[in-house]
Amino acid sequence: MREFAVRLLQLDRRFIFVLMSVVTVLPLLYPLGLPVRISPETRQLYDTLERLPERSVVLLSLDFDPASKPELYPMTVSLLRHAFARNLRVVALTLWPAGTSMAESAVTHGAEEAGKRDGTDYVFLGYGPGEANAIINIGQSLTNAFPTDYAGRKTEALPVLEGVRSLRDIDYALSLSAGFPGLDTWYVYGKEKYGFELGGGCTAVSAPKFYPLLQTGQITGLLGGLRGAAEYETLLNQAGKATAGMDAQSATHFLIIGLIIVCNVCYLLSGRKE
Amino acid sequence: MHFWQQSLPLLITCVFGLALVLQYYVPHPASENFLQEISLWSQIIAGFAIVLGVGSLLSAHYQKIARQEAGWGYSAVLFVSLLTVFGAGLWAEGKAEGTFFGWLYDYVLVALQGTMFSLLAFFVASAAYRAFRARTLEATILLSAAVLVMAGRVPLGESLLPGIGALADWIMTVPNTAAQRGILIGVSLGAIATSIKIIFGIERAYLGRGDGA
Repeated sequence: MREFAVRLLQLDRRFIFVLMSVVTVLPLLYPLGLPVRISPETRQLYDTLERLPERSVVLLSLDFDPASKPELYPMTVSLLRHAFARNLRVVALTLWPAGTSMAESAVTHGAEEAGKRDGTDYVFLGYGPGEANAIINIGQSLTNAFPTDYAGRKTEALPVLEGVRSLRDIDYALSLSAGFPGLDTWYVYGKEKYGFELGGGCTAVSAPKFYPLLQTGQITGLLGGLRGAAEYETLLNQAGKATAGMDAQSATHFLIIGLIIVCNVCYLLSGRKE
Repeated sequence: MHFWQQSLPLLITCVFGLALVLQYYVPHPASENFLQEISLWSQIIAGFAIVLGVGSLLSAHYQKIARQEAGWGYSAVLFVSLLTVFGAGLWAEGKAEGTFFGWLYDYVLVALQGTMFSLLAFFVASAAYRAFRARTLEATILLSAAVLVMAGRVPLGESLLPGIGALADWIMTVPNTAAQRGILIGVSLGAIATSIKIIFGIERAYLGRGDGA
């Protein structure tokens, strides 16, 4: 038994890789469709958007690149759908240069789907260089930070930005972040100084660090990883890619739990040998 | 040379560091204008830093190719990729829609970055099997918390084990928040201490060796 346990502990990692592939692909092909419970932090973000009066200004900072697309793009789609359905004005931008094209595509498709007019109901400002400095710049003067939008039109003349001079005029800012600069940068350099409501989303791996800010009300609402995106899709009653991916995530989580249990049982049976 | 490479940068850092600390507490329009001017300058400097960074990267990899050092083929791939994307971007005037630049973005960059990030799942599974063992009491507590959160944050776990979702939420909002807050306070104090050291010239690593190297 002890020998078997030792041999199992030395399992070829390629076997684990194959197992991982199988448990990821199978639920995508044959979905279980298990219900997704709504967490308080997702509900908080949804309720904040629901409370905003029509034509309020929502700033959406898409601070991620294609590496985090599977987790953060579904959030982007859901948030845009919600904001457009509530007839809110959307001001979108990105602080990540590699995310510019993806962000523009997400905003444009979301707006087209909702029948919104570019420059009147929404605007994509493009990439804001300088990381934290970009936030300070927008905080001081949005038209100085972005004299033109991504399409090259003067921001001063855009109806969607009527009455919006700086971050102080934003009703709710949302940062969907995969790292730095991201949600915490918006909090430190933006919200703290210019006093707007801030919420956002992040990859699952970085969600735990935002809980202190959530608890104290320094951020209002948080979508954590694919799960957060799936919860938002459930709230909107529009199942999308995040909901479809939850079954695969369930299976992979349980595979990892199984692997941890097996390796620890073998570890005990082997007499705690490395 | 000492003045240009050591004293002047230290003086600029000290003056602007102190000015920006004071600026935060002075809401006068002159102070706000100063911040706006500085942040614009920072963005301009960041733009030039990108040029400097790309130049330095190309120079380092050019040396590798010229000397045919181990792995010089990867440097060649970097060279070709960078120049191709740069050329495509200039040709398309930065626009992605319907251009070769956009095609490179959608079908090369998105796929490559997605693949790299996806590999994480395989390595996490493998690492969990090899390293996540209950060797000590602390390791056992960490392991149990990880298992509970992993099970409680997915629909399958909540369907099989009712109540585990609430338990995972409790772990995230109480012990996790407490630990994260401790880390946050520690990091913030460290950042303040480092900033003070940089402003007053105690920490000078950012200046380099000072011999132009």
